[in-house]
Amino acid sequence: MRPLDRRTVLKGVLGGAAVSIALPPLEAMMNGNGTAYAGGAAFPKRFGVYFWGNGVLPERWTPAGEGAAWTPSPILMPLAALREHLTVVSGTRIATLNTRPHGSGPAGLLSGDNMTGEGFSRASIDQIIAGTIGGETRFRSLETGVQRSDESLSYAGPMQRNPTESDPYALFNRLFGEGFRAPGEMTMADPRIGLRRSVLDAVTAQGGRLRSRLGATDRQRLDEHLTAVRGIERQLQRLEENPPNLAACRRPDAPPAEVPDLLGRPDMPRRARLMADLLAMALACDLTRVFFHMYSQSVNNTLFGAAPAGHHQLTHDEPGDQPLVFSILQLIMADLATFLTALRNVTEGDGTLLDHTLVLCTTDCSFGRTHALDEYPIVLAGGASAGMRRNLHLRARGENATKVSFSILQMMGVRATEFGVGPGRVTEGLGGLVA
Amino acid sequence: MRSLTASMLLWVALAGCEGVTPPTPVDAAAPDDVPVAPYVPQAATLRRLTQSQYANTVHDLFGDAVVVPRALEPDTSREGSRAIGASEASLSPRGAEQYQDAAYAIAEQVLRDATRRAANVSCTPTGPDDAACAATVVRALGRRAWRRPLTDDEVNALVAVAMRAATTLTDFHRGLEYALATMLQAPDFLYRVELGADAAGERRFAGYELASRLSYFLWDGPPDDALLDAARDGALDTEAGLTREVDRLLAAPKARRGLRAFVTDWLQLANLDALSKDATVFPSFSADLGAAAREEVLRNAEAFTFDAEGDFRDFFTTRETFVNRRLAALYGVQFPRRDAPLTEFVRVTLPTAVPRRGFLGSVAFLALEAHPVSTSPTLRGKFIRQQLLCYNIPAPPVNVNTAIPEPSPSLRTLRQRLERHMSERSCRSCHITLDPVGLAFERFDGIGRFRLDDNGAALDLSGTLDGRAYSDEMQLYAALHDHPLLPECVVERLYRHAWANVETGEQRSEIVRLRTAFAASGYRLRTLLRDIATGPAFRRARAPEATDGGAP
Repeated sequence: MRPLDRRTVLKGVLGGAAVSIALPPLEAMMNGNGTAYAGGAAFPKRFGVYFWGNGVLPERWTPAGEGAAWTPSPILMPLAALREHLTVVSGTRIATLNTRPHGSGPAGLLSGDNMTGEGFSRASIDQIIAGTIGGETRFRSLETGVQRSDESLSYAGPMQRNPTESDPYALFNRLFGEGFRAPGEMTMADPRIGLRRSVLDAVTAQGGRLRSRLGATDRQRLDEHLTAVRGIERQLQRLEENPPNLAACRRPDAPPAEVPDLLGRPDMPRRARLMADLLAMALACDLTRVFFHMYSQSVNNTLFGAAPAGHHQLTHDEPGDQPLVFSILQLIMADLATFLTALRNVTEGDGTLLDHTLVLCTTDCSFGRTHALDEYPIVLAGGASAGMRRNLHLRARGENATKVSFSILQMMGVRATEFGVGPGRVTEGLGGLVA
Repeated sequence: MRSLTASMLLWVALAGCEGVTPPTPVDAAAPDDVPVAPYVPQAATLRRLTQSQYANTVHDLFGDAVVVPRALEPDTSREGSRAIGASEASLSPRGAEQYQDAAYAIAEQVLRDATRRAANVSCTPTGPDDAACAATVVRALGRRAWRRPLTDDEVNALVAVAMRAATTLTDFHRGLEYALATMLQAPDFLYRVELGADAAGERRFAGYELASRLSYFLWDGPPDDALLDAARDGALDTEAGLTREVDRLLAAPKARRGLRAFVTDWLQLANLDALSKDATVFPSFSADLGAAAREEVLRNAEAFTFDAEGDFRDFFTTRETFVNRRLAALYGVQFPRRDAPLTEFVRVTLPTAVPRRGFLGSVAFLALEAHPVSTSPTLRGKFIRQQLLCYNIPAPPVNVNTAIPEPSPSLRTLRQRLERHMSERSCRSCHITLDPVGLAFERFDGIGRFRLDDNGAALDLSGTLDGRAYSDEMQLYAALHDHPLLPECVVERLYRHAWANVETGEQRSEIVRLRTAFAASGYRLRTLLRDIATGPAFRRARAPEATDGGAP
């Protein structure tokens, strides 16, 4: 079958009624065996961070057995059905200073440096990767969450934090509301897109008039602002083009406007499922290739399940071997399984979306009670197309955790020769992780 | 001598604690009557409008009925201040999208509503492409939206946007929507462009920039036409004219907005939005309690500052407060109407029988500084030390066992359990300054409801605050009221709020001036606001670091 000529397809629209027209089967866009687009372009490689707050219980976190002969630990049991997609990296440590409980850990792993002031001093790994693979999609990256919060650990640079969207309805509207078209949906050309672009041009020009009067610090902030404005221009440009022809992409159902609490407790499993489905479809429709999914924020005091106190309080106050914290961690892992399963359930060619997405799953310390940063909890999921070895327990005792970050950069195609600074700096990845 | 005494007393009280440190008084080296070095201004950077400033600006420009989208870039707090966060943080890509969505939503409301259109479009267009009429509208809107007159270049650029859109859509007013959407997305709207003019090696604020600086400080919103006219006429650049305008701003109802912005930041009231409590432990908790608790504090602060013009310290001991029917039920006071809407607040006098007084007896403090299921003496004590007395509280050390023993026959109250926990030396050095203060409030549970005991055991509420002993929370209120650091701390917080900078020793003379005047006024907050706004330091900034002048 002849491949589609992209230019024969009607131009897109803002706010017009979407109409479906008959198209040749979407397989026309693929090669013979369905592993890639016609013309040989592979399915896009995606990367995401999946983060939860308040650490783990290290003794019940680390799997038994090493290498391929591993057994999921008690905390990881909810992920057992996904084990062929996982590599658990244990034993690494955050080498940068541990001065900020719940802050030094993620800053060390994700940016390679300790926090300065109240934020990261450098870009986080998701934004570094977005700089390489985020340029072709409508959204350079998405920052999403499950717990109601706009807190974030995604930094484009110091003082450049990307707030989290944790409202499923708002996320749906942003991704699949006005302007979105599933493959095969066409609309009549809308002149308002061009007008909006002329507005952005005028905003940028006005920014230029102001810029010349500013000092260096303000210039940089204004430049970052204007870069964000250019990001919107790119989004409008994408709306004028054909949607990518990805077979798995479809317009999802709108989530409810509110996800009500249950007796004063957030309905985390339901929130997690709604966000997972939206994010999976955002990736399947190639709206973005990079995400930071903040399941729960650092120091969150969420009331989980039937726990008699908030999560953070229990990690510190619960005596003994902390059975309540343990049960909360199992709930968190069950919601992580929901997320990874949502990716696995999307078929792409002869693989799945999870095969084409590398997910770094981590938290803010190892032992929540003491804020320790050795034995840092790291699970890597998916990543087959990025060349990650899977179904492993990789024991890397005493290694710098940033070696994992460096390996991820390499697998995602970032041309980096180093990652991190000071004691967090590494120039090589973690052995055994890359196929 | 007052401040010196206070700091000496604190060092004695805290001997042995390596962690918690009292504020470093900017005049620690000398009492107030010794001459101090001249004021050295700090650099001023662009301040992006906070969420409340954005909404206030839109409402002042186009009327309170205009719906401002709530999804905007969140405020960032730095050094405990949103003002500082607004002067440091960069806008995220998501934030730019949200500003775009908001700009079109507002522009449509302004230009498609007949009344608002008439208020903003003074000419009758001869057709979609009436550039002269568009220029008239853009000039008038621009002066208020950008808080200064527009240059001809700027007017021409905006008219060009309007004309292109009007021609494409064959509608003059639709075209104007695009010009207004441009204005609302421009940095000149989204940032307070207060750069100052070069003068004697530093920067001085005057005219329109000073008008903006004053109105966002005192009103949390943009200058009105009268203030812009005063800027144009040079009135703001005379002491008499400046004082007249500051007094006018402080007398206007919008000054309450300005106070609300500061108090919300200072007392961390925004956190009440996310107040979450276990409904099985606290059956009287409802999702609207946090909003009610915040409104109570803000109304009280307004009444103190603008109606009674009372001693700011009485804010911590007063029996007067404002309640809606939710709070009335929790406080055990009568509310006149059983079915009143929750937005209806009335002024009440709290009963003498319950030791609930002032801010520290409010749900805002007691529920926010607590856990979802229980009280937290540590959080309550930390709030008093950090927010009200300006102590530095370091993060807890790593690798310590933080577990609190379970209740048992020998450890029945939280105080007993915490004391066991404090036997660890590395914890004790800091917690000894936090927990005992918080334990004085143990007669109020995790949402601020009064109770007589904890777990069936009698409560010991006694302690010592920086040398002054108290036997219960009532005496602690009084101790805090008289604490010399309380007014000093609020001056420091207000300095950060007004200047968007953390004060250093180089600003000591201004801090001392404000503090002295504050005390002399009998601790009137309104006087303090006036002293800041009329003082020369508020009009000065350090020149920004040199730029390379390069292209972006």
